[in-house]
Amino acid sequence: MLGFLFRRLGDIIPTFFGVTLLVFFLIRLIPGDPILMLAGERGVDPARYAELQAQYGFDQPIIVQYFDYLMGVFQGDLGKSFVTKKPVLDEFLTLFPATVELSIMGILFAIGIGVPLGVLAAIKRGTWVDHLTMSVSLTGYSMPIFWWALLLIMFFSTSLGWTPVSGRLSVFYFIEPTTGFMLIDTLISGEKGAFTSALSHLILPTIALGTIPMAVIARMTRSSMLEVLGEEYIRVARAKGLSPLRVIMVHALRNALIPVITVIGLQVGVLLAGAILTETIFSWPGIGKWIVEAMNRRDYPTIQGGILMIAFLVMSVNLIVDVLYGIINPRIRHKR
Amino acid sequence: MALLEVKNLTVEFGSEDKPFRAVDSVSYSVDRGEVLGIVGESGSGKSVSSLAVMGLIDFPGRVTADSLTFDGQDLLGMSAKKRRQITGKDIAMIFQDPMSALNPCFTVEAQIMEALKVHEGGTKKQRRERTLDLLNQVGIPDPKSRMTAYPHQLSGGMSQRIVIAMAIACQPRLLIADEPTTALDVTIQAQIIDLLLKLQEDSDMGLLLITHDLALVSEAANRIQVMYAGQLFESGPADSIFAAPRHPYTQALLEALPERSEGHDRLRTIPGVVPGQYDRPAGCLLAPRCRYADDNCIKNRPDVTDFNGRDVRCFYPLNDQGQPTGQIDGQSTGGTV
Repeated sequence: MLGFLFRRLGDIIPTFFGVTLLVFFLIRLIPGDPILMLAGERGVDPARYAELQAQYGFDQPIIVQYFDYLMGVFQGDLGKSFVTKKPVLDEFLTLFPATVELSIMGILFAIGIGVPLGVLAAIKRGTWVDHLTMSVSLTGYSMPIFWWALLLIMFFSTSLGWTPVSGRLSVFYFIEPTTGFMLIDTLISGEKGAFTSALSHLILPTIALGTIPMAVIARMTRSSMLEVLGEEYIRVARAKGLSPLRVIMVHALRNALIPVITVIGLQVGVLLAGAILTETIFSWPGIGKWIVEAMNRRDYPTIQGGILMIAFLVMSVNLIVDVLYGIINPRIRHKR
Repeated sequence: MALLEVKNLTVEFGSEDKPFRAVDSVSYSVDRGEVLGIVGESGSGKSVSSLAVMGLIDFPGRVTADSLTFDGQDLLGMSAKKRRQITGKDIAMIFQDPMSALNPCFTVEAQIMEALKVHEGGTKKQRRERTLDLLNQVGIPDPKSRMTAYPHQLSGGMSQRIVIAMAIACQPRLLIADEPTTALDVTIQAQIIDLLLKLQEDSDMGLLLITHDLALVSEAANRIQVMYAGQLFESGPADSIFAAPRHPYTQALLEALPERSEGHDRLRTIPGVVPGQYDRPAGCLLAPRCRYADDNCIKNRPDVTDFNGRDVRCFYPLNDQGQPTGQIDGQSTGGTV
């Protein structure tokens, strides 16, 4: 198991290296000069421009710039934002918990609804239950996030007034960030109503973000479950005189979840991409919104740092998924 | 009273108004300590009828019978829960392909102990000891280390021994073995059959041995039941069936044995295939393939009748010389076997 872990870690390093390469050069392909953007409409005189270029290192050959950046990254220095002049890593770490909180809720929603729906559809195959769940999931999958999120806001927030429109917490509360996770912070602050407020702010973004992964997971669970239910060992389990519930939940689900786990891992990438839209719509102060703003200002270090960290996150999640995969599937674990 | 009594068991699939009968009014019984062999080609309803006995036919399949009793208890009338208490405990089943019969996600130990837990309870320690006993009993070398093995780490023969251990875990009174050796090497086949027969003898179980291997049933079974296209064609004591088959199909099956083709250029076969859902003959189901069939066979369907103490479904059962009796013109109009 440990060897397996190290091998997978070994795969991550070249991938990480490749991401730095891509991010660094792709950003510079976008038209727009960061110094001119920084100066704004009043412009900048050539002498000052050259001075600033030297200050940010833009006068160096691009290869040298890249290696400077790379050296910094390997020392844990992602550079400073052009706009706020703060270290990118600090900004990232401040905003990161908000995105993580939203993403965790999103994936929990997707798994919590998607897996049972898929199992139900598989057991009731060919009946109206199956058709209904599968059309709901197809609709969910085809719905663009920005539109779905607006529909949710219009219906639940504006018309019904059940949930807040945007933000992470009602303005009546001020919570000192300790963990950065609003649900936990409000809970330990002990302030009355704060936790409920944080939770109600999370509901709509969670649904908006989790719908597509939920649909994918439901469909995957269904087809995987159908395949497993046709296996001989399911018949053997039933021949042992086990209850239908035990046959499905223990013997079938465990096997059916193997491909689903892989899909869940892949969906984390989709989730973070979706977070950019969701955070923008719900004014959620997370890294998605932060990167979008940095893009508009050609804030190279922030974009590079942000994307690098997201890539790192997706790779880590997939590593965890691989480990989980080994735990749930003995055939992988024992392969040498 | 016999241990298992099956009277006119019918299993239908498909729509209500145009059903397909996979098993058509089959009757048999198995006693304690008896080995009943069911033989027939693929598609003759052997497996489906045994799945019906186990209660494993799913919707939309329909199981009906005049009576289906185990040890005097009506299996069809009882609740699903009550039936599950019998299934796996008193009636156990071994399936064809051992490599796919074990759940790949669980250890050998977990899968055997599960059956024990459901039916017998006891502490985990007791169950583990019993599992070790069972593995010893089915001849697994070094059972202690095999306990924690996963199915993919076992060979086919080893897996089948595990499957057998799982089936006999709760000391069933009836064991259904559905082609238990088909997926195994020839050398392993003999070992597995020997093991099954030894277990059957030691515990006085009834054994229902489903196979298309005639040589195997001839050695193992007390009585034999020949099935074709879901129907019973002939049944009787094993020795007498082999000595003098009464049904042309049984005769043809025996002639198809390689050792009976000595002196011939080719192996003798039965041309054609078992009729399926859409090509069922109107008369006798064997008529298109039978060498003795005449117009009567093609138009009318024979019932099971008693012929010299044997149940035979044929208008013209064979005599001791292997010739059809009572045929009107003696002309063959059917198949060419």
